[in-house]
Amino acid sequence: MTREMKPSKGESFVPLIQVFEPHKASLPPMGPYLREFWRRRRFAFELARFTDKAEHLNSPLGAVWLVLNPLLLAIIYFMLVTIIGGRASAGSSPFDVLAHILVALFTWYFAQNCMTFGGASVTAGGKLILNQAFPRALLPLSSLIGAFQKFIPTLPVYFIIFLVGGALDSKSKLPGLNWHLLWVPVIIGLVAISGFGLALLFATMNVYFRDTSKLMTYGARMWLYLSPVLWVPEMINGWHQIIIWINPLGPILSITHVVWIKGENPSWTLWVGASSWALALLLAGGYFFISRERDFAVRI
Amino acid sequence: MTLRYVSSPEIPEGLAVRIEELSLRYKINVESKMTLKNAIMRAGRGEKRQIRTIEAVKNLSLDIPHGTVVGVVGANGAGKSTLMRAIAGILPPTEGRIIVNGKVSTLLALGVGFNGTLSGRDNIILGGLAAGLERKELEERFDDIASFADLPNGFIDMPMRTYSAGMYGRLAFSVAVNMTPDILLIDEALSTGDAAFKEKSFEKMRELCLEARTIIIVSHALGTLKELCTKTLWLHQGKALAFGDSTEVTDKYLEFLNVGKVSAALEDF
Repeated sequence: MTREMKPSKGESFVPLIQVFEPHKASLPPMGPYLREFWRRRRFAFELARFTDKAEHLNSPLGAVWLVLNPLLLAIIYFMLVTIIGGRASAGSSPFDVLAHILVALFTWYFAQNCMTFGGASVTAGGKLILNQAFPRALLPLSSLIGAFQKFIPTLPVYFIIFLVGGALDSKSKLPGLNWHLLWVPVIIGLVAISGFGLALLFATMNVYFRDTSKLMTYGARMWLYLSPVLWVPEMINGWHQIIIWINPLGPILSITHVVWIKGENPSWTLWVGASSWALALLLAGGYFFISRERDFAVRI
Repeated sequence: MTLRYVSSPEIPEGLAVRIEELSLRYKINVESKMTLKNAIMRAGRGEKRQIRTIEAVKNLSLDIPHGTVVGVVGANGAGKSTLMRAIAGILPPTEGRIIVNGKVSTLLALGVGFNGTLSGRDNIILGGLAAGLERKELEERFDDIASFADLPNGFIDMPMRTYSAGMYGRLAFSVAVNMTPDILLIDEALSTGDAAFKEKSFEKMRELCLEARTIIIVSHALGTLKELCTKTLWLHQGKALAFGDSTEVTDKYLEFLNVGKVSAALEDF
C-alpha cells in the first residue's frame, strides 16, 4: 500500500512523502486515487489527442475516414436489410430504415471503439507503465476520449441526413426536429459510461490474456448482430425481448431508436435498464481494473 | 497507486529514501504465450498454470540522505531495475516498506511516452504530462528542455523516428532532469549520448546534488559510478552485498566478477 503524508501549504495533493507498503488484492483508498486520477486528467486528453494526431499524420483522408467508414458500412447493411431482408416492403420507408441503421451504427461504433482502443490501452502503454507511477485507469480514459472524438464528427453528418432525407422522402415517418432530441446528450453520456466500463474490463483482460483483442473482433461482430442496430426493438415481442435486456447496450440502443426515429419519450423501464447497465459496467470494470493495476508492471 | 494522508512524518529529517526490510517477489507465467486459448486448453487437459516466483529483492534496508548520488551495480537479474521501480512506486513491495521524501522523476525505460510518429516537441509535452507536470509548467520549461537536449537545428519539430539513438536518449534525459525532481531515478539511460553530452549530463546531476536533490543510478559503467556517485549499492541475486563508498564497492564488485580493473566494465560509453 502506498501512503501519502500531508503536503505543505500551497502545494497540490502531489505527495511530498510517500510510503509504499505491501498490498492485498483489494481496492486502494479510492479518495486519493480519484483525486490523483482527476489531477492528471489532462494527460489522458493529450494522450488521446496525440494518438489521434499520430494516426492521421500519414493519412491524406485523415479524419474523413472516421465518418466515411461507418457511413459506408451502414449503406452496406441497409442494402442487406432492405434488398435481401425485404424490410422496406413491409411498410416502413427505406429512408427510415437507413436512418435507424445509421444512428444505431454510429452509437454502436462509439461503444465498440471504447472496447477496442481501451482493450489495448494498457498493453500498448507498456513503457509508460514501466517508467511512471500514475493511476493506470487514465489509459482506458484516454481511449474513451479518443473514441468520443471519433464519434462527435458523425453526429452532424447524421443530423443533416436525418433532416434533409426526412424532408425529401414523402413516405418517411421521421419526426424531424423535436424536443425529445434533448435526450441525446444523456444518451451519449450513458454510452460513454458503459464504454469506459467496457474499456476497463477488456484492458485488464488483455493484460492477462493477450488474445483478448483478437477474440473481441469476433465477439463485437456477434454482439452487433444481437443488438438493435440492424433490426428495430419493435420487431421483438414477448419473451424474446429478453435479448434486449440482457444485452448491456440493448436498452441504450433502444432509447436511441425511440428518440431519433420515433420522436418519442423513451419509457422509464428503458432508462432504468440503460442506467443500470452503465453503472454496473463502470463498477465492475473499475473494480476489476483498479484492484489489479498494481500487477500490470510485472505482467506487461 | 494507493495514497493516504498521515499526520506525522515517518522518515527522519535529511533522508530522501528509507528502505525498511524490503522484499520484492512476483510471479511470472512460464508459458510462452498468455492467451485465453491456452488457458482453456490447459483447463481441458486438467493441467495447472505453470508459475515461477521470482525473488527480485530480499530483505533490503537502506537510508539515502538528500543530496547524494547513489549508484547501483550488480549482474543482470540482480534486482536493480525492480528496486528502482519499487522506489518509484511502480511495483508494490511484497514485504517491508519504502518511504520516499520528495518528488520523483524517473528515467527507467528509454523512450517512455515517446511516439516515433510525433515530433520531439509533441513528445516533450506528452512525456512531461506523463511525469505529472501541468501543461502550463511544461510550456514554461519547454525551452530549457529543448536547449538541454541540444538537438541539431530543426530536429525538435521532426518526427522522432528520424532521430538517432543518441538524440532520442538526450531528449529523454532532458525531460527527466528538467522536471525539477527531488529524487531522480536513472536506469541504464546514460549510455546513449556522446562524450560531450555525458559531460553535460554529469554537470547537470552535480548541479541537482548541490541543490540537495538525490540521484539513484543503475549502471554497468563502473567508471561513471566512481566518478559521480557518493555511495554505491551492490546487489547480487536480490541481496545487498555491499553499500558504501563508491570506489570501495565497485572495486569489490570487480573483484567478485574476477575481470580486473582494466576490463570493459570500466568503459562508460
